[in-house]
This record gives sequence, C-alpha cells and structure tokens, in this order.
Amino acid sequence: MDSISYYLQTVLNGILAGCIYALFAMGLTLIYGVLNFVNFAHGELIMWGAYFLFLFMGEPFGLPLYAAILPALALTGCLGLAMDYSVFRPIRRANRLTLLIAAMGLSVFLRNAAQFFWGAEVRTYGLEVTAGMRFFGLTITAPQLAIIAVTLLCVAAVYLLFFKSRLGKSMRALSDNLDLARISGIDTKRAILAAWVISAVLAAVGGILLALDTNLSPEMGVINLIKAFAATLIGGVGNLWGALLGGMLIGLAENLGVLFISPGYKDAVAFVIMVIILLARPYVIIGERSD
Amino acid sequence: MKKLALLVAVIALVAFAAAPSARAADTIKIGAAFALSGSIAVYGEGFKKCIDLAVEEINAKGGIKGKKIEIVYEDNKSNPKDCVTAVRKLITVDKVPVIFGPAGSSNFMATAPVAQENKVVLISAQGAAVGLTKAGDYIFRVFPSDTLQGPHLAKLAMSKGYKKVPVMYVNNDWGLGLKNAFVDAYKKMGGTVTDIIAYDEKKTDYRTELLRASKGNPPAIVNLTYINEGAVQFKQAFEMGIKTQWLCGSAARAPKMVELAGKAAEGVIGTYPSVPQNTKAYQAFKEAYKKKYGDDKIPIFGDYNYDMVYVTARAIEKGGYTADGIRKALPQAAKGYKGVTGDKTFDNERSPKFAEYGIWVVKDGKIEDYKK
Repeated sequence: MDSISYYLQTVLNGILAGCIYALFAMGLTLIYGVLNFVNFAHGELIMWGAYFLFLFMGEPFGLPLYAAILPALALTGCLGLAMDYSVFRPIRRANRLTLLIAAMGLSVFLRNAAQFFWGAEVRTYGLEVTAGMRFFGLTITAPQLAIIAVTLLCVAAVYLLFFKSRLGKSMRALSDNLDLARISGIDTKRAILAAWVISAVLAAVGGILLALDTNLSPEMGVINLIKAFAATLIGGVGNLWGALLGGMLIGLAENLGVLFISPGYKDAVAFVIMVIILLARPYVIIGERSD
Repeated sequence: MKKLALLVAVIALVAFAAAPSARAADTIKIGAAFALSGSIAVYGEGFKKCIDLAVEEINAKGGIKGKKIEIVYEDNKSNPKDCVTAVRKLITVDKVPVIFGPAGSSNFMATAPVAQENKVVLISAQGAAVGLTKAGDYIFRVFPSDTLQGPHLAKLAMSKGYKKVPVMYVNNDWGLGLKNAFVDAYKKMGGTVTDIIAYDEKKTDYRTELLRASKGNPPAIVNLTYINEGAVQFKQAFEMGIKTQWLCGSAARAPKMVELAGKAAEGVIGTYPSVPQNTKAYQAFKEAYKKKYGDDKIPIFGDYNYDMVYVTARAIEKGGYTADGIRKALPQAAKGYKGVTGDKTFDNERSPKFAEYGIWVVKDGKIEDYKK
C-alpha cells in the first residue's frame, strides 16, 4: 500500500465514523434545541433501533433486510414518543438537572430491557461478510457506501424539513424561545412530538448502519453517545449543522490521530480537540447560539 | 423469566442473610462476582452455567459434609468499579469466606486488594494476566498465567517463519501482560517487532488501527484480542482486503468469535492453555453439560470454572468453612488433583504450576486444534 492511499484510506475511515457520529449528534442536538436538555437516553434509541431491525429479520417475522427497515424505524419513532409521553412530558417544566437524571435513569432501564429480551451477547444480522470494493487503492464495502449515501440523504431530508416546511419553522421557533413560540400560536405540542420522532428515527438509522457495519450489542448506544455528545458540544448545542460538522471532525481527528500516536489514545484525541475548542472559543465552528 | 427468578432469589437471599436465623448455617455459601450484564456478560453467562453444573453435582452427592453449596451471584456489570462494589457486598452483607472473582484481568485485579484486606479468599478461573495474584496470599487462580503463554506464542510465530511482526493488543492488564511476555520471548528468539499498537476494548471501529498494523503488508500480525473485538477486527480486515496470518492469544478462542466474524475468521491461529479433551474426566464433563443444557458447546473457560468449584469444595472440606481454613487448605486440596483441565497443583504464586499449550485454528467455521 503506497502512502498516499494509506492516508486517503484513513480519511475515508474518518468520514465513515464521522457520518455515524453525525447522525447520532443531529438527533441529540435536535432534542436539546427544542426541549433544552441533553437526552442521555438517546444512545438507547440508537441501540433499540438496531435491535428492532434484528427483531423483524428474525423469527417470527423473518423479513428480508430491505423490508424490515421501515417497521424498525417506525417502531423506534414510537419508542421516542413513548419516552416523551411516559417520562419527559410529566416533567417538562422541571429544571435541567431533573431532566438529565430522568434521562440517565431511562437509559439504564432501556439498556437492561434490551438485555432482558435479547441477552447480553453480541449479535449480527447474519449477513455474509464480503471483501470491499477497491477504487484507486481505497477499499470500501457496500454497508459503508450505504453509510455515506444514507447520511447524505438524511442531511438533505433534515434540511428540507427544517428550512422548507412549516413544521420545521415551528420547531426552529420553539428552539429559539418556547414561550414566545407558544404565545405566537405555534402548535408546540405537535412540534415537540415531531422532534422526538425525527430524533428517534435519525438514531435508528445511525444505529442500523452501525450494526450493519459492525455488530449489535446492548452497549452500542452508550459507547457512541459520548462521541455524539462531544460532537454536539463542538458544533454548539442545538445547532444541527454544527452537530454534522462536529461529528465529522471527531471521526476524522480520532482516525488521523491513530497514525501518529498510539491508538490506545484514540478516544483522547477527540476529547482533547473538544476541550481545546471549548477553551479557545466556544461554538467556534458555526453559530452564535450560546445557550 | 430466569433473570426475574434470579432477582427474586437474590432479594430473598439478602432478606435471609439479614435475619439472624439458624437458616444461614444450613448451606455453604460461596460468593461469585460475575459479569451478568455489561460488555463481557457473553462470558459471564457461560461461566455461571458451568459453576451451576458443578454445584448441582456436588450437592447431588450430599454436598460438603452433608451441607449443600449455594452460590451467591452478584452482578459485576463488567467494569472494575462495579466489580469492587460486588465483592464488597459479598464480603460485608453475605459474609462469605470465599469468592469466585470477576473475569477480565483488570476487573479481577481491582477487587483483589479488597479481598486481601478483608482476608477473604478470592479465586479466578480465567485471569491470565501476569501479576494477577500479586495482591497477596488470599488470591488464587486455577488458570495458568501468561508468563507461560508468551513464549509459546513467540515459538509459534518463529516456527512458521515469521521473523518480523507488528503486535496489536487490547489495552488492559491482560493484553499488556501477554504483549510484554510475547515481545520479550520473541526478541530473545531473534524476532523483530515492527510496530506496537494498543487499542481500546469495546470499540466498533478498528479500521484505522488495522490499517496501521497492515502497513507494509506484513505476512503475519500478532493480535492479542477478545471475542467481540476480534470478531469486529477480522471482519473489518477482511473487508479492507488485508491478507495476513493472524496470530492470537487464548482469549479470542471462542465459537462465538467465529460465529460473529463468519468467514473473515477463517485461518486465524493462536495459542491457548490446552485441555486434553480425550480424557475421561473431560468427556464426563461434556456429557453432563450436554445433559443439563442441551448443547455440547462448552463455553470458553467453562471447564476452568467447573474445576474451580471442585477445588474450592475440596479445600472447604479439608480446611473448614472459614477464609483462613480455605486459604491454608487450597494448596493441599489442589496438589495432584486431576480436574477436567488437568493437574491443578499451585505454584508459589498461587497459580497453576503446570499448563500445556496448544494451537488453535479456525477451519471451515469451527475452532480446531492446529495440525502441522
């Protein structure tokens, strides 16, 4: 392997990791924007999304992959709504700490519930492993192409929804000022529900892509949530494009870092960058939001 | 439902332990701080099955001096912090004199000083890390130390003609210990280590680590990895088109790893403390396992856990049901004892004195013994 393609492959790996982080971070930041708290149970939406697909592909449904995706996404959307209805709605006006602790509790509950139903062992969708395709010395597999394509699609869909539809407009209004939005006659309930569904579906899409590319385990959500959280911080919490860029930045930085320092510090790379950015200039990447 | 039943059982047990009744003395309680949830619960469930099998057998034969053995399981959640909590709970609430320690060398080593300070015997059935029992004279293991495995792995690499290899290892006490033991032995045999790559556990993406290891297309890469990590890595290496001979340690040798990695694991070889499976004892164990659980895939290290119960039971019988009694009786109880996993005699560091190492290979989706 010559050294240019060696570096390019690393950049590609970084982009792949970044796509996944970005999908997670966008959902996380969306809920933050609308409801003003960090949903630490977001990782569990990621994991449940992936497991729902596993559910529909296995007995008694036995659906093929392409047919199982829609019901899995729909069910994860419902799970998002159920989370809001049962836990977050009753404490909508509570302070942030209460919401944060509720989210953490919910996270533990959902993780253990998944373990109860599917066991703690790592699983796969049982698809055949295939060697990747090669372009100009770079290797990429079908699931990885799917990661990039689906991420682009999701970003486009989110863009259209947020900046070209009334619903998106009302969500942005909510995100700016909840009370003001309410007074102006915006249907805040509907916007909040929509935010939960979108956030959950984005999480499920990312979770499924991640599981297709690697494995399923009850821990898969928590592990990646930390990176997604870092990505939202880098991008400025509540800022969708910031989350996208933050995810990409973390993915690239931790992969490129591995080439020069011991991979044992892979996680540290992401966090060191996060700390530096926060210290130097909070929300430097995009935006003036400073909540 | 089984987990719910277990929960109820644990609650009931705590209630009984708290009540100063004569009931508590009716059984011989042994603590087990096992990974029943968290990342290595894959292993924990298998250990528990084998422990339960041994306990059932001993109890069916009348227990220890007429008293039945009862295992008090405590979930260690697969991380060092909760391992310590679990062991503390077993010591202070359940007041057991002997505990089967957590799997994962880092987890075990976090709890060892706690057991040593409280003078409670702590035994490991799968800890291979070099300094595992150094916390003190209450800490034992029935699994051989990697001090013995490192040279075997180096010999394997040399015998296959690999004189230059990069080394990847999982960055914890087990990986580091084996890496050091391997590198020392390999260098002494004239080998050159081209790169050393430590990586974290529980990752889902190892592509860039693999890319770095495969720089220069080495004919062989030493990868001291686990079940899940190994499966992910072999899959990703296969997808990336990395063609190399993987050389592994014992921890990746599991049917689960092959199941997860599919054909990407084909041809992977490694060393492991071999347990001759053609012995009468092993066959009987396998038969009993099949009878109880309906399949004959013995979980990884399950046989060592099974032996641990028997060695402990013998020590309790000899030395009495106190921590000091068990500690003093363990070396005698194990001396010359032929368990399922061979001779369990302890050395001066309370680790098995004898260990045979075999070579495993993944062939046609199965783990087999490697034949030259």
